[in-house]
Amino acid sequence: MALPPGDQTTSKVNEERSISSVLFIIAMQKEASPLVDKFQLAEQSDSLFPEGVPWMRYSGKYKDLNINILCTGKDKTLGVDSVGTVSASLLTYASVQALQPDLIINAGTAGGFKAKGASIGDVYLVSNVAFHDRRIPVPVLDLYGVGSRQAFPTPNLERELKLKVGKLSTGDSLDMTPQDAALILANSATLKDMEGAAVAYVADLLKVPVIFLKGVTDIVDGNKPTSEEYLQNLAAVVAALAKAVTKVVDFINGKTFSEL
Amino acid sequence: MAPPHDDKAAAAAEVNDESTAKRPISNVLFIIAMQTEASPLVNKFQLVEEPESVFPKGVPWVRYYGKYKDLNINIVCPGKDKILGVDSVGTVSASLLTYASIQALQPDLIINAGTAGGFKAKGASIGDVFLASDVAFHDRRIPIPVFDLYGVGSRQAFPTPNLAKELNLKVGKLSTGDSLDMCAQDEAAIVANDATVKDMEGAAVAYAADLLEVPAIFLKAVTDIIDGDKPTAEEFLQNLAAVAAALDLAATQVVDFINGKSCSEL
Repeated sequence: MALPPGDQTTSKVNEERSISSVLFIIAMQKEASPLVDKFQLAEQSDSLFPEGVPWMRYSGKYKDLNINILCTGKDKTLGVDSVGTVSASLLTYASVQALQPDLIINAGTAGGFKAKGASIGDVYLVSNVAFHDRRIPVPVLDLYGVGSRQAFPTPNLERELKLKVGKLSTGDSLDMTPQDAALILANSATLKDMEGAAVAYVADLLKVPVIFLKGVTDIVDGNKPTSEEYLQNLAAVVAALAKAVTKVVDFINGKTFSEL
Repeated sequence: MAPPHDDKAAAAAEVNDESTAKRPISNVLFIIAMQTEASPLVNKFQLVEEPESVFPKGVPWVRYYGKYKDLNINIVCPGKDKILGVDSVGTVSASLLTYASIQALQPDLIINAGTAGGFKAKGASIGDVFLASDVAFHDRRIPIPVFDLYGVGSRQAFPTPNLAKELNLKVGKLSTGDSLDMCAQDEAAIVANDATVKDMEGAAVAYAADLLEVPAIFLKAVTDIIDGDKPTAEEFLQNLAAVAAALDLAATQVVDFINGKSCSEL
């Protein structure tokens, strides 16, 4: 049966062509560095983006793939990584416009819920993303606020790499209020981060397939305070994330979307 | 010896900034989250919807433009969510729209106009239109040194002392978050931000405007009293139409004041 004209879902995805360009969206320099090294990418100082934005781009060829790693960069005033949904969405938007990737991979760290089976160092493939801190108690606007979306389906990737799979909930806070907790529960999330659902929103707007890989740095429903546990485990988990991402990229290499 | 490229570029940029500040404003960009907030202004300035989009295919953003007195005015709205059909409110949409609009339209000045909740304890009443002095987020809590400040993202609006005085505008601080309601932690952060008005876009527009170094001002009309008795959503929906009209009036006065002036005269 022929697809109706202008069918949105396949307008940008040619299922039978091999994936040739991959765009990584990574919030923090520390999360990106091991991957930049692994893929032997070079920092690009060209003016792909407007003057004044702090975004960093690393690119190069790895096997048959053109890889771009984009980081939100350091805040111009405060010098810290530009984490959170606003930065991530701007970076994703501008990068897709400039680089026209076949596939987006949002890779990074996340909190995990042990009640949902997460442990420190796990690297999850995300099935669904949603926001937990955009509460709009008006019919339909409530759903818009939650902004629930599915990741691009990759059953073969999941099976062959034996990746743990879970739902991701996104919010702009590192901590978690009772309202946040209730909504994360409603989102059925195993993981909690600060960018995923925003990257998903932009990827959906521009109709580019997106997948999410998240390394667990802290147990949200555990005893230790989040910031402490996160800082303690960051280095080790970032290394584990790099390992998993490399396997994913090796798997993707030479495949079409329908083979993922 | 020729100056290194970076110094030359910086010097040119500085001169450019100075002359830009003194040149009459010619290009004004309104960022307005909801169609209901925008319509009265679109009508007032007799703008037309631009059918050929300057934005990528598939995005729901809407642009109205036209000439009003000596100004080229663009009004952009994030438009209706493609799946759910509601206005694409909130910080992510607003920042994307601001970024893309600046890139496409190169405005001299951004005006983020819209509705907001107000705190009667800080002197706000329904129908007031505030000029924001500062904007900040109240729902981005990152309890790590310096990251905490980044989360709050406090910024000053472009200073417009003459505008505020001549139009007799009420002035107050604006606090932004992605929720229409307000939990206890939000409230504490709003109090810490010393805010009079609470919205869902301002600080995100400020962030994008700051990134691209375009002056931005914020006009917020109060639809509901947060520290009052009525539930927010109800009060907001009740007052929206009337307050949008009040916003229209104030925005028109602002535009009339801006007309013929440079940024430094505001």
